[in-house]
Amino acid sequence: MGDIVVLVKPALNPDMVRSKPDGTVDIDAIPLKLDDIDANALFEAQKLKQVLGGKIAAILVLTWGPADKRAKDLRMVAQEALARGADEAHIVADDSIIPGDPVTTASAVIATIKKAGLNPDIILVAEASIDQTTGQIAGRIAGKLGLPFISFARKLEVKDGKIVAERDLEEHIEVLEAPLPAVVSVTQEINEPRPPTLIQIRRAAKKPQNYYKVADLEGVATPVKQGLEYKILTVSRKQTIIEGDTLEEIAEKLISLLEQEGVIKL
Amino acid sequence: MVKALVVGSSIPEIREALGAVASVEEKVVLAYGKAAEDGSLEQLGVKVYKLKSTHPDHIVAAVEKIFNELKPEIIIGWITKNNRAALSYFAGKHDLPMPTDVTSLKIQADGLVYTRGFLSERATAKEKVPFPAVVLINQKAFKPVETSGQSEVIEITPEGEIVKLLEVKEKALSGINLEEAEIIVGVGRGFKKKEDLELAFNLAELLGAQVGASRPIAADYKWLPEDAWIGISGKRVSPKLYIAIGISGAPQHMAGVMNSKIIVAINKDKTAPIFKQADYGVVADLYQFLPVLINKLKERKK
Ligand SMILES: Cc1cc2nc3c(=O)[nH]c(=O)nc-3n(C[C@H](O)[C@H](O)[C@H](O)COP(=O)(O)OP(=O)(O)OC[C@H]3O[C@@H](n4cnc5c(N)ncnc54)[C@H](O)[C@@H]3O)c2cc1C
Ligand SMILES: Nc1ncnc2c1ncn2[C@@H]1O[C@H](COP(=O)(O)O)[C@@H](O)[C@H]1O
Repeated sequence: MGDIVVLVKPALNPDMVRSKPDGTVDIDAIPLKLDDIDANALFEAQKLKQVLGGKIAAILVLTWGPADKRAKDLRMVAQEALARGADEAHIVADDSIIPGDPVTTASAVIATIKKAGLNPDIILVAEASIDQTTGQIAGRIAGKLGLPFISFARKLEVKDGKIVAERDLEEHIEVLEAPLPAVVSVTQEINEPRPPTLIQIRRAAKKPQNYYKVADLEGVATPVKQGLEYKILTVSRKQTIIEGDTLEEIAEKLISLLEQEGVIKL
Repeated sequence: MVKALVVGSSIPEIREALGAVASVEEKVVLAYGKAAEDGSLEQLGVKVYKLKSTHPDHIVAAVEKIFNELKPEIIIGWITKNNRAALSYFAGKHDLPMPTDVTSLKIQADGLVYTRGFLSERATAKEKVPFPAVVLINQKAFKPVETSGQSEVIEITPEGEIVKLLEVKEKALSGINLEEAEIIVGVGRGFKKKEDLELAFNLAELLGAQVGASRPIAADYKWLPEDAWIGISGKRVSPKLYIAIGISGAPQHMAGVMNSKIIVAINKDKTAPIFKQADYGVVADLYQFLPVLINKLKERKK
């Protein structure tokens, strides 16, 4: 009986973007959160566990540092993954691979699977993250391990040691079948994750969080990507709230403003 | 001498990726799927490998074969789902860097400097990676090459299948062209049921607008066809006027509308993030406000 491995990214929260006076991104001031679609992957893992058995192991690689300043955020993300159904969390936090790049992250995930003695039937990854949106970690891991890869799964079923999935493409949907073990990237549409209950949150505090340094692991690549400049995109919008005593008045004001702007013609 | 392999499933994709690497001396093309069946492939004026398949496993095997023969520094294509799937697998296998959603590119002797979206496109990142590298470019970010000439065409037999394709289901698409629309009414989860979208369609008709949607409305609930989906993973639009109704203003949605001239937001929650990204905001329940707005427009039209 194999394990279900779910990748969980401690991601920069794009709703809390911070900038420095010179307009560059103040990365260190942006808090980390559990990446959006990873919540869908964790929810799907709970369903798969009913069929596959085994345990759900979350793997987190810290890609934003410095590690000591991120320790609390990281623990919170791991705890949320545990509250969302993971049985244990494996966390790589090491300044030598920060800021991370996808080459490093994929190698760290694989090294952690080995180090933690996990034996995955399935590795679940989100289609894309909220900070980098590179959408490539799943494919990389499949490529490095030589495993079958199903991307953009909108529907997933495991039966008789095989996985059947609906793969969501631009113009059509493919129904695919692959043997296990396999790597699957899931879309946001695969399910509607429920927020963890109070009991789940309390139980999560007792579940194991295992931390690793790069020195504990084998085969972690050093980052090759060089960051040159990170700039905030400034949108200068008028941000005018249209006030009025009645909705009629507001509607009239809106219509005349849009006419003045020359964007509607009546 | 830098060499590039362009990977794509349509001629416009291929011409644009060729444009992005215009300064590169030696270029070859892997055309798969419908591009492999396209007669104009013969007129690209570069060496072309064609693969009559869209299966990512087949694409990986074909890229692998060309990579081993040619040893290109750059492997480049549009950011389509099949390119992303196949090339991430390939990049992983060889530990190659793979910048995605790239909007500008500078090819240097020792690597690539590029810009891309960051933080769900609230920011931009300028970065550098060494060769060889895989690059996925944003649609319409580069000038396509117009060049033509006789191509040498070599067919590659599909092989290397691990995942089995059981069935293909067509999606119901409407064929609307949101990219060209001058006015767009965007609908979000503030609408409680599909029938209520009638309000948005009425408004759109009066304004001569098209109706677009946030991801949950189009992709999850399927209240509208998926080509109405606007955002970082959907369509990028640039109308004169975007009216967002019952949309919260998540960065992934706003990434698709940031080139609108004027943005109007109608939302009942005055703290909704969309108000900070709109020119004009109306804090109201859409079910109360839209009928009033529609009536006023009708009166004015008379
Ligand atoms: C990698 C990734 C890619 C994504 N890509 C996209 C994308 O391309 N496009 C996209 O849209 N999303 C995308 N998303 C999803 C995105 O994060 C948001 O979840 C989504 O945009 C929210 O849609 P919404 O605004 O319709 O719904 P919600 O966020 O639920 O907002 C509904 C809004 O309606 C308001 N409302 C409720 N009732 C009323 C009423 N009666 N009258 C007026 N207002 C009302 C509420 O106040 C709320 O602000 C992506 C997410 C990820 C992680
Ligand atoms: N540092 C990381 N730690 C754990 N999982 C990750 C990490 N980076 C990416 N992933 C996984 O890969 C998905 C896609 O990320 P990305 O390739 O950055 O778009 C994320 O949502 C996670 O599931």
